[in-house]
Order: sequence, then structure tokens, then C-alpha cells
Amino acid sequence: MKIKLLIATLLLGTSAVFAQVSKPIEMPYVDYPIAKGDHDEVAQQYCLICHSFGYILNQGQKSRPYWTGTVSKMVNEFKAPIPKEDQQTIINYLVKHYGYESTSGH
Amino acid sequence: MDKINRRNFLGAGLILGASTLLGKETSKKIITDATGEFVPPVIAFPEKKPMKTISDRPPLLESSRDIFSQAITPNDQFFVRWHMPDIPTYIDLETFRLEIKGSIEKPLALSVDDLKSKFEPVEITSVLQCGGNSRKFYARSGQATHGVQWGHGAMGCAVWKGARLKDILNMAGVKGSAKFVGLNGLEKPAVDETPHFFREMEIDEALSGDIIVAYSMNGEDIPYLNGFPLKLIIPGHFSDSWVKMLSEITVMDEYRKSFFMDVAYTVPDNDCECVVSGGDFEYKRKPITIMKVKSVIGYPTPNTVIKKGSRINVTGVAFDQGKGIKEVMISLDSGKSWSTTTLQKDNGKYAYRQWNYSWEPKAKGEYVIMVRAINRIGNIQPMPDEIGWNAGGYQYNGVDAVNVKIV
Ligand code: HEC
Repeated sequence: MKIKLLIATLLLGTSAVFAQVSKPIEMPYVDYPIAKGDHDEVAQQYCLICHSFGYILNQGQKSRPYWTGTVSKMVNEFKAPIPKEDQQTIINYLVKHYGYESTSGH
Repeated sequence: MDKINRRNFLGAGLILGASTLLGKETSKKIITDATGEFVPPVIAFPEKKPMKTISDRPPLLESSRDIFSQAITPNDQFFVRWHMPDIPTYIDLETFRLEIKGSIEKPLALSVDDLKSKFEPVEITSVLQCGGNSRKFYARSGQATHGVQWGHGAMGCAVWKGARLKDILNMAGVKGSAKFVGLNGLEKPAVDETPHFFREMEIDEALSGDIIVAYSMNGEDIPYLNGFPLKLIIPGHFSDSWVKMLSEITVMDEYRKSFFMDVAYTVPDNDCECVVSGGDFEYKRKPITIMKVKSVIGYPTPNTVIKKGSRINVTGVAFDQGKGIKEVMISLDSGKSWSTTTLQKDNGKYAYRQWNYSWEPKAKGEYVIMVRAINRIGNIQPMPDEIGWNAGGYQYNGVDAVNVKIV
């Protein structure tokens, strides 16, 4: 079976509808905004392996326990290959830019 | 790092490279709406009109609310939801085969043409709804949930045509020892160890009634992003097992444990399928299956401004698990009083039932329009503050509400 990978192309916001089965479809690439600072590069290194940053933005502002739980879910359930200390860096980054300090709740 | 599929890791690297190439260090502003929610960009994907793009990789595309003023959802506006990032963007029908294997007498490898020519074609109009559809409305009523925060737009209704799953299984000859049927498609994770998207159902369910392997959607090939060339259709059920790009059907003697069956898409195994106290995962689990009665408003959309004295056609759709919609009630005063709407053509028990209500607002001001459906066995939608909560945010069917302004 011929399989072409889903590789993001640099067609910002554009796409073409191709006649089916004659050619691979071309997927648009979305440049989701990613807050800079507090080691965003660590979050970018690991959190974009399996999905876009849209997954994170879509959650809205979340508590520290929520982000801690989500990062462990990525590591434990989905086997994200993130070393322990980088996990903490990412959690801090997410709480700072996409969340709030709190000991309970979502 | 060698555990990561290199090709996918390259894909991820490409994305990082791309954002530096394009934007240098400019961090784009996150657009939020009045409630502080992220507003996804609206982008056209292959074979789709511009849609709310929650994610491009894997693609998560949400339909806009006005789609619910039609009883059949057009293919190019039908929502898209994948789990894994590695999705074929090209399928050669000459070589594509659906494999039937496991506890059967005769393994099969069927082409799409085989499915079209060797089996009786069946057509069914059915709602396809993600188990997490409308999930963000749990948060609106104060109880946040995990998972992708969909509005109402992770559902649609289409005419599906294909071969019966039972006919396919019967051609293969299911062995007496068979207890489950496993289903999977061509989507693959980026990291090998990530659980694959794998679904299971009991053999009795697979051999009964209405389940079809569809090759056509609304009279056309199924769009790539909706699962071309084959998709499993389980009318009345949430879409977690409506496997896209269906490529393997495995008949099994034993249940196979998997993340996507035993953890994801599960709710507490009690009457309300909700958390009464404590944490969600303290409860015994059950997978979500049949859909709950639901109605949504397609027109007007939120914040529509309407001139006093004009006559508007309030419309939307309603559906349930296949018992049939008995009545859809409407309130124009935030739920104090209710009237009945007119039900339109019946397209079958699994289809959307469109409803209409002609309204001529007589006074200026803010109004909240609400709708509430009841099915033929008396199931009624709960008010948003009465709905039972589950941490995964599944099966939301609270009464829908839209605010409009009369000027
Ligand atoms: C090994 C792959 C992998 C990596 C790496 C990964 N994720 Fe995920 N993530 C997933 C999968 C799989 C899902 C669920 C997909 C689905 O249901 O569609 C998911 C879902 C999510 C969601 C949606 C909410 C939910 O609970 O399902 C969020 C938020 C998220 N990931 C954040 C992150 C963050 C933050 C990181 C970086 C620390 C990360 N992910 C890294 C695989 C991964």
C-alpha cells in the first residue's frame, strides 16, 4: 500500500481539494501561537511530538494539579519520552502561561 | 529517542523549524472570546470548507453551529477527529485491502470493489457524534472536564452506504469460540509505545443488525479526513468505535485490554453514569455506548441581533439512540414557559429530526432561547445544572441555550 506521511507543509491557511486517489492530499500547517519564555523550548521539544499546540490552547486556563496530571498522563499512558526534570519545567511553563496556581480543582 | 518513529519525529522537527522560519521570535497573540476561551483559527483542509481548527495534527475540525439548520450535514462541513498523528494522505484502491482475520474459517482481504460487488448494499441515515461532543458546556456550568473542549460541532448526520458487518463476518465464517471483534484503521502513533487506537465489541453485537462498513457518505466517496475509503458505522452509538480508514477486523476468543477501550471513553458504571462523590476513577468503568436524547439550535446563532416585529424561523436538530424523537419544546423566556415545535420529515430512527418554530418577537431586549427534546421512551434532556458529571466530559446532552438581542 502506498502511504504518504502526514507532513505539515508551509501552506499557511491554504489547501487544495484534489480529486480523490489520484494524488496525496496536502495538509495545511497551522502556526498556533506559543507563549515565549520560561523554557518554552522544552515544552516545544516534547509537547509537539504527537500533536499540535492546539491541544494545549484548547484546554483554556488550568490549575497546577490539572497540568501536572496531564503531563503525567502523556508520560504514563501515551509514553511521551520526557525526562523527570523536563516534566517539571514543562509543568511550570504551562501553569505560568496557560493556567494558575491552585492546589485543587481543574 | 530511537523509540520515536523517525519519520514522525522529522515531521515534528519540521513544524518547529517552520515556526522559526515563518515567525522568527514573534509570539502570536492567543485569541479568546468573551468567556476567555481560545478561539481556534478557521482553515480549509482538503475537501473541506473552512472549519474551526482545534488542531492541525492530528486534525480536529469542528463544524460551526449554523450547520444544525440542516437535517443532513454536507461532507465538506462534517467534523473531523483523529487520535494519532500518522495518517495516510494517499490510499491506492488498487492495493488497499480490508483484512478479516483471527477466529474465522477463511481469512479475507477485501478491496473496496469487493465490498461494493460481493455484498448487498445497505443505506442508513445516521448521526455521527463524538463521545466528547459539547464537552465544554460542562465547564460552563462550573464542572470542568478533561479532553478536547468541543462545542456542539463534533457531530453530524449523513447517509451512509456500505456492506453489513455481519455479512462480511459470515463470509469469513466466525468460529464458535469467538467472543469479541477488534477493529482498527490506518492511523498510527508518533511513538511506537503509545497505545494504538483499537476498538472492540462483543461478537453478538457485531453479528446483529445495523452495523455497516461504509464506502459512501451522502452519495460520494467518504472524504479522506472522515476516513476514506472505509468507515465503520454503528447507528445510535457514540462514534468512538466508528473506526476511520478501517483496515483490520480481528475476530478474537479473548478480550484484549487497551487504553482506548478501558480508560478512554469510559464513564462510572452506575445508573447516572456520573460521579456522585469522590473521584471518577474510583468507580468501576463502563464504555460509553448508546447516545442520549439531545437537541441543538442551528438558527439563530448566539448574539444574533433581530429587528423587533420580524418573523424568524428558529430551527435545529434533535436525535437520540434510535428510539425516535417524540417532541422538541422551545422556551423564549430562559426556561420559564415552553411551547412545542414542529417536527420535520422523518429520515429514519437514527437520523437528525429537524424542528422549526416561527417566532415574532414583540418586545425589545435580551432573550434566551432554549430547546429540550424528549424521545419516544420518555427520556428527556436535563437542564445544564442538573446534568450528571464525569471527568472525561462524555455524553453531554444538557438543554441547549442561545442568547439573542431584539432591537
Ligand atoms: C507520546 C505522544 C504524546 C506526547 C509526547 C504528548 N502527548 Fe498530549 N496527547 C497524546 C494523546 C495520544 C492524546 C489523546 C489523543 C486523543 O484522545 O485524541 C493527547 C492529548 C493531550 C491533551 C488533550 C486533553 C486530554 O487530556 O486528552 C492535552 C492538553 C495534551 N495532550 C497536552 C500535552 C502536553 C502539555 C505535552 C507535553 C508535555 C504532550 N501532550 C505530549 C499524546 C502525546
